[in-house]
Order: sequence, then structure tokens, then C-alpha cells
Amino acid sequence: MNGIFEFIAAEFNYWIYVTLMMIGFYAMIAKKNLIKKVIGANIFQTAIFLFYISLAEVEGGTAPILMHGHDGAHAVHEVIYVNPLPHVLILTAIVVSVSTTAVALALIIKIYQVYGSIEEDVILAYRKQLAPEFSEHARQKQEGEQ
Amino acid sequence: MKIAALLAVILAGGMLIYAGQDLPAFGDPNSPSYQHPITEYYINNSLTESGVENIVTAVLANYRGYDTLGETAVIFTAGMAVLLLLRRREI
Repeated sequence: MNGIFEFIAAEFNYWIYVTLMMIGFYAMIAKKNLIKKVIGANIFQTAIFLFYISLAEVEGGTAPILMHGHDGAHAVHEVIYVNPLPHVLILTAIVVSVSTTAVALALIIKIYQVYGSIEEDVILAYRKQLAPEFSEHARQKQEGEQ
Repeated sequence: MKIAALLAVILAGGMLIYAGQDLPAFGDPNSPSYQHPITEYYINNSLTESGVENIVTAVLANYRGYDTLGETAVIFTAGMAVLLLLRRREI
């Protein structure tokens, strides 16, 4: 029993990241509201950020900013620094995440202006009523009849 | 529909937990990412090669400058897309 607790405690960062990823993934798939889908995508991205940053962590390590020793010189070898590379990658990923969120929200604004709703089923029903010939379902039905 | 989504999510989560058992423990100094020579190289040489105390800044702007250039291209594209989507058309 003790071994299981140690196992969970040693890798708790992975449990948290998997949980966050599942929450975000579920929101992306199951929610009909487009804003909630974007929020789900953001939670998903945050889970990936957390995963990468936790991979960079080293026991007893400090932030990767060079510290000054007592004599004023930089302490390069005396201090343990965490791995700087995942931090750089995630800095880039955060920027990409903000960009995709901005484009998604702008698209949702345009969808709301055209369809008057951000609910997925309302939009699909309205599209079908507005232009039945463009509806995928109607076209398949028509091809089946011919 | 929601049941299918829940099943897909639980399947994906289960696969990740199964795969996560092979990952190194939290804060393990012997993890492959920390043992890779590039980590030591960045920590030891970033000050002399770029003159910045912050190693993340040195890697972002110096060693991976082209990555950051592509990143600015992404921001520019996203900004242009938002502007084109949201501008008022005269017609």
C-alpha cells in the first residue's frame, strides 16, 4: 500500500496534467457552446504547459537565471538550475495559444453576427433551414434518391 | 453522444496514465531531459556567448532566434486574421 502512495506522489504532476487534459478534451468534444469549446482548448493547452514545465524541474533547482556569488561573480557551477529548454518551448507555445484563441474568438463573433447564436445545434439547424442544398445530410439523401 | 465523448476522454486519459508510468519521477536529476548535454551547454555557456544572465532569454533570443522569428510571424498572422475578420466592410 505504501508503494502505491509513493508511486502516486512521485508522479503527481502527470496525474494533474492528465486530469486537466481530460477536462479540456471533454469540453472540446461534448459542449455545444462555441465559447466553452475554446475554453476547453485553453484548458488542454494549459495541461501541456504544465507537463513541459514539470519535466524541466530538478530537485533543489532554482529558476534558470544566473545568480551572483559572494564575490560578485556569476555562480554557474555552484548552483543547480532547472532545465531552461522546456521553459523556452512553453514561452513560444503560450504565444501560439494566445494567437489561436484570438482567431477563434474573432471567428465566433462573426458566426454570432451571421447566425445569431453560438450554440452549435442552433447554427446547424439554421444552416439547414437557410440553405438545404448546402447541408451535407441533405446532399447525401438526394444522392441516395437518384 | 455525451457518453461517447466521455468514453473517448477516459480512453485517452487511460492511455496517457499508462504511458506516464515510464516517465521519470518529478524532480529527478537523472531524467533524460536533464542529462542531455545541451542543458549543461546552455547553463555553462549562455553568459559568455550571449551576455544575458537569464538563460531562458539567452536561449529564446540567441540560440533559438529563428524559432522566435517564426513565433512573431504567428502573432502577425493571427493579428491580421482578427483584423480582417472584424473590420467593418463598406459594402
